Amino acid sequence: MSGSKQRMREKKLSKQPASVQYTSSPFNSSQSGGSWNGKGTPMSGHSSSTYGASPGGPSDRGGWVRGHQKDGGAYEEELPKFITAAAFAVARASEVQAMLKAVTKETGSCHVSGAIPNHMRRRAMSHNTKRLPCRLREVATRMKEKGLKAGPKKKEQPKNKSRKARRRHGNLLLEFNRRQRKNVWLETHIWHAKRFHMLKKWGYCLGDRPTAKCYRACYRAMSHHCLLQDLSYYCCIELQGDEDKLLACLSQLTSKDTGPTFAAVLALSGRRQGSTTVYRAGQYPSQPLGPVTFLWRPRTPGSSHRQLWIWAHPTLKQNLFPELQSVCQCTKPVIPSVALVVTPAEPAPSASKPGPRQTKKSPGAKRKRSAGDGEAPPEKKIVGDGTRPASAPVTWTSASTGIVINDLTMEVVRYRLIGPQSHAVLTEALEAATDCDAVSKAQASPLWWPQHCKDQAQMTLHRQQAEVFQTLKGVCSTGEVPPGTVLSLNVEDPRLALPKKRTQALSVVSADQDIDETTRELMLNGVPEHCCQSSLWDRFVRDNVTDNKLSEQEINRRKREVLVPGSRLRPTPLQSRVPVLMVQQPGKQVGHEMSGWGAGWDLLLPKGWGMAFWVPLVYRGVRIGGLKMSLKHSQNKGAPHFPHDFPDCPAGVCFQGEQETELLNKFKRRPPAKRTNYIKHGCLAPFRCPWQQLVEEWELITSEALEVGSGDEKRQGQSGAEPGGQPRLAAALQTGFSVLRNRKSLKMLSNWCRPTTTKGQRSLRARDQAPLDAASGAALLTTHVRALAWVRLSLLSKGRPELHAQVCVATQEDLQRLGDKKEAYSGPLEHPHKDRFKNKVKRRKKGSKKASPAPKSSTTLPTREAPDPHPDPPLAMAACPLPPAPASSAAAAGQTSAGPSGPPVPAEGPSSSSAASPANLVLGLWPDPLPSVTAHCSRVTLGWVTQGDFSLSAGCGEALGLVSLEGLVHTLMAQPAEQRGLVLLRSPSALHYRWAKINVEA
Amino acid sequence: MTDGRVPGAAVLPQNPLTPPSGGLQSVEMDPVEYTLRKRLPRKLPKRRNDVYVNMKTDFRAQLARCQKLLEGGGHREICVHGLGLAINRAINIALQLQASSQGALQLAANTSTVELVDDLEPDDPDEAPGEPMTRTRNNSAIHIKVYYPSP
Repeated sequence: MSGSKQRMREKKLSKQPASVQYTSSPFNSSQSGGSWNGKGTPMSGHSSSTYGASPGGPSDRGGWVRGHQKDGGAYEEELPKFITAAAFAVARASEVQAMLKAVTKETGSCHVSGAIPNHMRRRAMSHNTKRLPCRLREVATRMKEKGLKAGPKKKEQPKNKSRKARRRHGNLLLEFNRRQRKNVWLETHIWHAKRFHMLKKWGYCLGDRPTAKCYRACYRAMSHHCLLQDLSYYCCIELQGDEDKLLACLSQLTSKDTGPTFAAVLALSGRRQGSTTVYRAGQYPSQPLGPVTFLWRPRTPGSSHRQLWIWAHPTLKQNLFPELQSVCQCTKPVIPSVALVVTPAEPAPSASKPGPRQTKKSPGAKRKRSAGDGEAPPEKKIVGDGTRPASAPVTWTSASTGIVINDLTMEVVRYRLIGPQSHAVLTEALEAATDCDAVSKAQASPLWWPQHCKDQAQMTLHRQQAEVFQTLKGVCSTGEVPPGTVLSLNVEDPRLALPKKRTQALSVVSADQDIDETTRELMLNGVPEHCCQSSLWDRFVRDNVTDNKLSEQEINRRKREVLVPGSRLRPTPLQSRVPVLMVQQPGKQVGHEMSGWGAGWDLLLPKGWGMAFWVPLVYRGVRIGGLKMSLKHSQNKGAPHFPHDFPDCPAGVCFQGEQETELLNKFKRRPPAKRTNYIKHGCLAPFRCPWQQLVEEWELITSEALEVGSGDEKRQGQSGAEPGGQPRLAAALQTGFSVLRNRKSLKMLSNWCRPTTTKGQRSLRARDQAPLDAASGAALLTTHVRALAWVRLSLLSKGRPELHAQVCVATQEDLQRLGDKKEAYSGPLEHPHKDRFKNKVKRRKKGSKKASPAPKSSTTLPTREAPDPHPDPPLAMAACPLPPAPASSAAAAGQTSAGPSGPPVPAEGPSSSSAASPANLVLGLWPDPLPSVTAHCSRVTLGWVTQGDFSLSAGCGEALGLVSLEGLVHTLMAQPAEQRGLVLLRSPSALHYRWAKINVEA
Repeated sequence: MTDGRVPGAAVLPQNPLTPPSGGLQSVEMDPVEYTLRKRLPRKLPKRRNDVYVNMKTDFRAQLARCQKLLEGGGHREICVHGLGLAINRAINIALQLQASSQGALQLAANTSTVELVDDLEPDDPDEAPGEPMTRTRNNSAIHIKVYYPSP
């Protein structure tokens, strides 16, 4: 039998039901009687004729065989002489039964699609039965219906409440409160959640970026109109006490070297907002905590009692708060007395109102509220604030100093408006409060405004503030107001004057209109001191305003009753006067171009009024930004962003750890073949920046350089030169590293970084500045050991710097080629490195399949071989601006850790290489004990980029990064004067170095 | 930015329209060091045919922009503004425009004075006189109207 025939036969047989196998059927063996002769087979057609051992028939053949057989042996000439009818019938009956069963039973997939040949099947047939041939349609429709019935039944979770019940206001609020138990919502959460990608961060739910595509639109809003952000997640800490004592306590946290402190004159008067960097008490310059802004309440005449608000990022607050407590010796928590807190004006929205949970309303009966005394919906529960547990006390007092610390987190809403037109948005959305009429003034009222109106002094103050606010309209741009100006105002509820349509608020200043005297005064000197006094500082007023806020529903009801639809509510309800504070935020203050970019106003409101102000602001045509936009804002401003750019602060360290795991997980989610092999790109740590290792290595390099510079004849006495560097090392060993924040040093460094003579830039008159030379450089370095400097890099040609891009030192040859006018030199190329770990990863994979992975030898990280062979190591080294120790000296150094290119840290490499256990190996990433980070590539690494992007304001790639101070100073000294400050920048997944210009902002 | 003991005397490459500072208003030497921050000149509403000239953009680009406005943009007149150091360049641009138009264009120049604001921030803020100051100084500006005379 040919092969094909055989196959066909097998196929057919395989489809037979099991009982019809023509092998030894039970009948044959249990054949009763001797009805069969030895050879005889039952007469069952020729199919069974071959059954048994027919003489001459192929013995291997069994069962049914198709077609005519050649040998003819299949055909029996001899017919059985007799058959037993009953037995025969029984045997056939079972066969017939099996056959019938086989016919009716649907094989395999029973879908109708199985009934049409492959090439005629279409995917859409399963949805649209009309695409099927007529004869199958009915079956298919039936199947579809069956599937529809079965499908969703499994998925559907039985909800115990109907949707209508779930969406009822009270139940909805309960659900909301449950959902924000872990991460607290801001007041604008629901508004944001509909439009933003939300992130759970720092104990809050925050909007990261809008779902709409509006990156450029948001940038335009920042630079031409106004961008709005909800910054209520920033934590406010209130300090109260005597001015002298407060200043004495706080001075331990700050240093004058870093700029203005809490005692800065203008900030102390309350006219300006101040900002400073906070350190752990008495630890300057090590152990910084982070940047804060602060606001003093203006002095009340005849009293030295002061009030101070410190605004800090939530991650910073966790470190700052205990520090403040210890500095002010505030250890006694104060249990808030209940009577003081709640002073409801009307009986209705009292805080003790039982929610629907307790009262268990019977459905239907109470659902329709009667006109007056309907029960209030359960109040929005403020549970803790994301940075502290709900039950923790908020107030601490001190017996010795008399200072009271209050945690006002989530008590004050803070909105930020960024952009030159933000004052126009504010002046249009807000309206100075109107005086209340005589009748309500005469009555005793629990509301704060009528009482406020009774005080004549307060009212004159209010009128003055309103005048200042009016003059704000005459200002062309937000940046024209002195930076940090504070303006206080009592405003009307902005919901009352909500425009019908969303329109862009623009300032109306005509070109020929001259500046009048009041506007000029505002622009020059800001707001007078007495106008900064606000009721918002008063806890009583804040609570009163929050408790008596008219609900949206009530406002709408009153609006409905207005005779002319859409007109303003008059008279203004007594409850709708709110004290607010406006604080000007300075724009870009560093650098030369785009100065004043990104200036804006911050709006501080009492708790509970968030949405009432948010929507009217949105109706003035602002754009809304999220966390991502605030990052871009500070990037364009050239300011470091907390906690991203503060690697020496605890919050920054924490952030870097989070960022690393996040990036690593993202990397691992890619299919292995599509991942970047960072080893081949010569990138040691693409997801983090080993700052500590960087500063340590640069310290070694410079000490080597000093040794060499001090005299070659002393080469033998290198061990003698060693002690010189040793104490510095020992001193710095515990401190880790710090970021340079000393303003004088920064200024000096900033001058050094500029090329002295370039077209378009005049030589700067820096009489009192030390010129860049070895002495001044060394002086700077000895005062700042193991320091990082914050630099801004702008690319000279194309390229978009990425996160964690390397900042490298250009070699002399590179600089020469760049100076050569004939060729357009975009930068050198790094030669691809070799991935020595690839095989190990592969081997481990194989090993793990078979058995436990083979133990890794401790020689996985030979220290010297770690960096891949440089294409031209002598050239690279020689061209490196630092005079490196020649190989001989490195050899002579012997037991001292390594040469300039030698990795100092992996000195303990072999011992700790167990950390690089095969389990930790990821293809394309260096295992943990990194080799020398500075000397890994052909250009020496200076530092890394912490933020980088194409800057829309500068029109080129711009990056913000940190570099080793020692490395920077040495690089600058080695560079020719006209090319000073040029470095190379290389992204982690690229081999091309790009030219960039370093700017140190001071 | 930079600092100088003499306020108003520090010479800087500055933002688009602000040239190096002009007159010295007060020459007293302050005991406290100050950091000088210049604010941008007052920004005024701008029509489409207003061209503010600066020293950073390429001269040819600015000239081309003006030509485009006059020829392609369909404006009968444009206004070229220059402040301080950029006055020269504004004049240059206007004259070039006129020369290239073979006498079809006419010029009308106006001068004015612009008040500029500087912020002085003390380096040592805690000392007694260390109060931030604001100063105003004046700078010259030119406004040249370049137009096709009406027939």
